[in-house]
Amino acid sequence: MSSVLQHVSCPFCGLLCDDLRVRLEDDAVNVEANGCERSRVQFSAMPAVPAACLVDGTQVPFEQALARAVSILSSARMPLLLAAGVDVAGMRSMLELADRIGAVVDHAATESLMRNVQVLQDTGWVSTTLSEVRNRADLVVVVGADVVGRFPRLFERCIDNPSTLFDAARKPPEVIFVGAQTPARSADRQIAVEVSRLGELFAALRALHGGARLDAARVAGVAVADLAALLARMQQARYGVIVWAAADFAFPHAELAIQSLCELVQALNATTRFSGLPLGGTDGDVTAHQVITWQSGLPLRTRFTRTGPKYDPHRYSAQRLLADGEADALLYVAALDTAREPPVSRVPTIVLGRAGMKSPAQTAVHIPVATPGVDQAGHLYRTDNVVAVRVRKLVERGLPAAHEVLAQIVARLGEERN
Amino acid sequence: MIRIKGGKVYDPAHGVDAELRDVYVRDGRIVPAPAAGAPGDEEYDCTGMVIMAGAIDLHTHIGGGKVNIARAMLPEDHRATGVGRTALTRSGSGHAAPSTFSAGYRYAEMGYTACFEPAMLPSNARQAHMEMGDTPIVDKGAYALLGNDDFLLRLLAGKSDPAMVRNYVAWTLSATQALGIKAVNPGGISAFKFNARKLDVDEPAPHYGVTPRAILAALTRALQELGVPHPLHVHASNLGVPGNVDSTLATMDAAEGRPIHLTHIQFHSYGAEGDRKFSSGAARIAEAINRRRNVTADVGQILFGQTITASGDSMAQYRNSRLAHPNKWVCMDIECDAGCGVVPFRYRDQSFVNALQWAIGLEIFLLVDDPWRVFLTTDHPNGAPFTGYPHLVRLLMDRGFRNDRLAQIHPDAAAASTVGRIQREYSLYEIAIMTRAAPARILGLADRGHLAAGAAADIVAYLDQPDREAMFMQPEYVFKDGQLVARRGRVVHVTRGATHTVKPEFDRSIERPLREFFDRYQTVSFDNVPIDGGEMIDCGSREVLVHPCAGRT
Repeated sequence: MSSVLQHVSCPFCGLLCDDLRVRLEDDAVNVEANGCERSRVQFSAMPAVPAACLVDGTQVPFEQALARAVSILSSARMPLLLAAGVDVAGMRSMLELADRIGAVVDHAATESLMRNVQVLQDTGWVSTTLSEVRNRADLVVVVGADVVGRFPRLFERCIDNPSTLFDAARKPPEVIFVGAQTPARSADRQIAVEVSRLGELFAALRALHGGARLDAARVAGVAVADLAALLARMQQARYGVIVWAAADFAFPHAELAIQSLCELVQALNATTRFSGLPLGGTDGDVTAHQVITWQSGLPLRTRFTRTGPKYDPHRYSAQRLLADGEADALLYVAALDTAREPPVSRVPTIVLGRAGMKSPAQTAVHIPVATPGVDQAGHLYRTDNVVAVRVRKLVERGLPAAHEVLAQIVARLGEERN
Repeated sequence: MIRIKGGKVYDPAHGVDAELRDVYVRDGRIVPAPAAGAPGDEEYDCTGMVIMAGAIDLHTHIGGGKVNIARAMLPEDHRATGVGRTALTRSGSGHAAPSTFSAGYRYAEMGYTACFEPAMLPSNARQAHMEMGDTPIVDKGAYALLGNDDFLLRLLAGKSDPAMVRNYVAWTLSATQALGIKAVNPGGISAFKFNARKLDVDEPAPHYGVTPRAILAALTRALQELGVPHPLHVHASNLGVPGNVDSTLATMDAAEGRPIHLTHIQFHSYGAEGDRKFSSGAARIAEAINRRRNVTADVGQILFGQTITASGDSMAQYRNSRLAHPNKWVCMDIECDAGCGVVPFRYRDQSFVNALQWAIGLEIFLLVDDPWRVFLTTDHPNGAPFTGYPHLVRLLMDRGFRNDRLAQIHPDAAAASTVGRIQREYSLYEIAIMTRAAPARILGLADRGHLAAGAAADIVAYLDQPDREAMFMQPEYVFKDGQLVARRGRVVHVTRGATHTVKPEFDRSIERPLREFFDRYQTVSFDNVPIDGGEMIDCGSREVLVHPCAGRT
């Protein structure tokens, strides 16, 4: 049996494109139009064998896996709940569980997400969304190392569109790549900078914008004259956009580099319109951030204590809690991508993974779960933090949704924790 | 059956002013008194207490993207305000921008049973409904933002048939599960995207050449023709600008006599007189409201202290960003749909401007004659967090208390204000009008805001204390749909609220140009925009309630 669906949402990167055409054939999902390589691979990644629950590597019935998970979590003193691909419903259930057992909640991508959140908490920013870029941008500065690789259809959807609301025949926006990346198109300019020195570059641009004279001839390897020319181009833009993927900023204190970038954008608005477009959202990190923020008032890396949620971006980092042996139980939920395998640790670990994901040998409990946008309907946030995309259920493989498994764990905890 | 016994009932929708009577409830509804002597299954002795319907906040930013930006920006606001979970309630935090659970519990504990998010961006509607879905106990509803969206501005610039505007408005209400429509700085948010920094009511907007007046005329007309009960909810041009009283009056007139609601009008009632070029325009505004029967307003009172302002008005918020305290701020352009700005603020009683803003709000409350047309809000959290409502009630009801506070603010502001010379004190009956009966009426909620048989059993019993702040802070009993949800200011039972919406009839032919618009210019697919009833349940709503429209289409 075969059928074709239009306007299907793709949950596999933060662009959350919702214009895919897919063909369903005997529970196989094939992208026929508007997909990228990643979406084609991810939609078709369906395991042939039925997914089984494992306890200590041995196949067990679902109920038994659930019982073991409950036993591990209810006896833990510092449980850690780590998201690595959940939708809104999954995150809601994870937070309910965290509240019940006093857990820390973090996301596998928080290290990069937090680079932006800390800027938001410290200086704020001026930002924009995909449709605004698509229609208004006349200058796009792409900053980082692999923006296009991480977000394959960004140019197709926001920059290469032939017409806009305001121009029937769009003059393509000028695109300048800044950082360690090859321009997407031959016409695009490039300013080569080591990624770890982007902070210096933006601090210098910010200083030049403020009227400072720089004594150095070069900053971050770029001639100051070239920086001045870049700044002048930015000031001439009618609607300029700086695009960055925080994941590219993988160096110590990268939030300060992003802060310089955002301060420059804020300052440019004194005379023209300029916005940032932070790119993220892949593996549901923006989704997790949004839900924990509205439910607890605080971002990821929050611990649910008896006196309320406590946020500490350093102390409650999952990586640190596992490395320092502070966590004594780990619940890991990755329903979107089988490649997001759980961290290897000595902590008793429960994995709710997309069917087909492998867990390390010592994993205590492994429960295969549905993928939002494939096996279950759900909501995931797009990179711009604005659009919560409805993802659809395409096939029925008898897999429980992560939020259903989490709700069952909560239901079995009993009230001894009150 | 539940019997709420012996209280003094205030039910202005039926002219009931402090009458001793019992209220009976069955299956979540108020029912007529049974035959004499029939006992209730449950009785609540409310002898000496004040009984009112559940309070309704018609303008409070409780859900949506900008509220969540505010939460994320203020870990310092949340660090000191954490509340742990109990067997009944979830944990949470936050003063100015509380977490969703905390907001629902606090509202219910204060006797509120319905809250309306006034600035739901259509592109962000799912988030607004999900956050409201996680706001327990109270019912919710939202006004969808129009008036800066490129689709409407194109229709108006192209001098399209008003029927298209009407159909588009109706489609938006339906697709976003909204109860009403709000216009924020009409045309101004769009103008800011073209680098304009101000837009007056009769100034043509960049690119489109459409004036805010024309936008207001088109939207008020569309809503009237559709028979949507709630008038166009308007955040006027020039928010916070000294001298904006003129554009506020022009905004009222742009409705051409049709119903219009001006929100947080305190922020739009400023003159530009005096040494500091900042003065009260409250007398002119109040007089204009008194004379124009088509106009209603909520005040958006400021109260002193730390808060955060979250608004769709990116143009005004960018302008105000230099006043940010602490010094951080966010502005966003959003989806060719709208915008937002989030700026933390600390209102200080020793600041002349802040002190006068405080006085201007009170002047409007006290100078508008008709409590059916002025509503008690702080524009939460923009003027102050909603938890300041009991304090505000006392300022309105207790002249001595008010004048004591007046003596503590910046002396020049106190001297410049007429507040000290106004004798008026609000009565409990008037408070019941402005927080219950009038909001229910203006929102089209026929079975809320009153206590007659058939109404939803949203009922509050207060101890009749001379200290009205203490009285309104901690009602003795709060019933939501007939269930006791709070007792002496503590949640005792948690329920999920419903969502109030309207679904006016419209001609589906509007979907053709909309589809083309989305296909060509937007980054979501037209077919994925509408939120259906099943999805609303996924978002967290208990049920979607559809209120009738008296449209002529």
